[in-house]
Amino acid sequence: MSASFNDQLVAVLPRLRRFARGLTGSAVEADDLVQAACERALARTHQFQAGTRFDSWMFRIVQTVWIDQLRARDTRKTESEDAALNVGSDESVRRVEARMALREVQAAVDTLPAEQRVALLLVTVEGLSYKEAADVAEVPVGTIMSRLARARLALLAKLESGDALRGRSDDAKTE
Amino acid sequence: MQRPSDETLIAYLDGELAGSERLAVVQALAQDDTLRAQAQRLNDSTRLIRAAYDAVLREPVPERLIAVVRAAEAETLIQHVMVRLERWRDLMGERAWWIGAPVAASLAGIVLGAGLGYFVASQQGVTLAAQQAALNGNLTAANWLDNIAGYHKLFINAGPDDRQLMDVPADGNADALRKAGQLPSDFHLPDLKPWGLSFQGARFLVVEGQPATQLFYTTDNQALGPLTVVVASSSKPDLAPTFDRRGDLNLLYWRYHGHEYALVGAADIGYLWNISKDIAWQLDAI
Repeated sequence: MSASFNDQLVAVLPRLRRFARGLTGSAVEADDLVQAACERALARTHQFQAGTRFDSWMFRIVQTVWIDQLRARDTRKTESEDAALNVGSDESVRRVEARMALREVQAAVDTLPAEQRVALLLVTVEGLSYKEAADVAEVPVGTIMSRLARARLALLAKLESGDALRGRSDDAKTE
Repeated sequence: MQRPSDETLIAYLDGELAGSERLAVVQALAQDDTLRAQAQRLNDSTRLIRAAYDAVLREPVPERLIAVVRAAEAETLIQHVMVRLERWRDLMGERAWWIGAPVAASLAGIVLGAGLGYFVASQQGVTLAAQQAALNGNLTAANWLDNIAGYHKLFINAGPDDRQLMDVPADGNADALRKAGQLPSDFHLPDLKPWGLSFQGARFLVVEGQPATQLFYTTDNQALGPLTVVVASSSKPDLAPTFDRRGDLNLLYWRYHGHEYALVGAADIGYLWNISKDIAWQLDAI
């Protein structure tokens, strides 16, 4: 194992934590996930291909570990589906009626189905291209494109129902 | 003109369209107020979504995560030194090997100890400064400190009687050190006798790809304990004396005119601070 591998890994930790936070919706679970991903990466350093993007490789491992955990627990998926069904319901509208704080945006992201959340976090938050996100998620580019669109539209509806977006737009206009 | 789908509009906003596809969206946007409003709302939501997670980047990375990575490095170090020990055995031959077995055994123990020391340090003593260095992408400083702390432990565990560790013996002169260690031209051996510290010898190292010279000092003063002084080449800008810690070791380091200096020991930081000033004055390195 080269020192540069470890250095790269330490350097990418903040972004891995951000990605994991978006996936799990919990600070503690996110750090547990990143730790598990780091341990897996360190055990498989030989699988990393020099010249390829290290961050994408790590995002893929984080995502894989997360999916493994979901399958093991099979709880998150149920919560997501239930929550997704509630988008636009009275309860969710009331909950976000007030101006949405950023924490509430995270909560809105948490309601997305897992695969949509992955696409959204990789492209919109981490800034990967559709192709790079497709490589990480190991799906075709078209799949990323449609998952992302569904995620973005669902979030837009949710944010607007809470007036957060309109409030911010108005703020921007008055500035 | 056909209105582009939301999927296509989002791909356009994400910069994923090119050529005729992109042109078609641009033209549709120019003619369709509703579509423009939708694009604006999507852009606004993008900013919100990014902002919601950016705070995570500004949080300090938990020590346990850095420890996972650094502990793996320590394991690698141990494996590396064990390979070197094997090589020694091959070079020394069977008879010499048996003579040198206690030395080799002690070294193996030392290295394992140093590795465990790293691990414990990683678990317990990764400092905020190290985290910040990692976040800034400036990892070399943290690695450099890790290494010189490890070499200090190697020396401590070997004990002053283990001369095999020394490249330059206690009676070696500064000329030999200068030539072999790529030290400053005006380098002379720091005299730390006023502190009760006796020079025991020096080793030449390569730390983070840069040559470094490690000077060993011992003392009967338990409060001060053995001390190593490291002088290394550096291409980094000057740095004021900075305190750090690795496990039970205190480190005080600074950079001056292309060289990096460090004091490593279990002594109280106040001792190290005063000794560092003495060394800096003697070496004209401040």
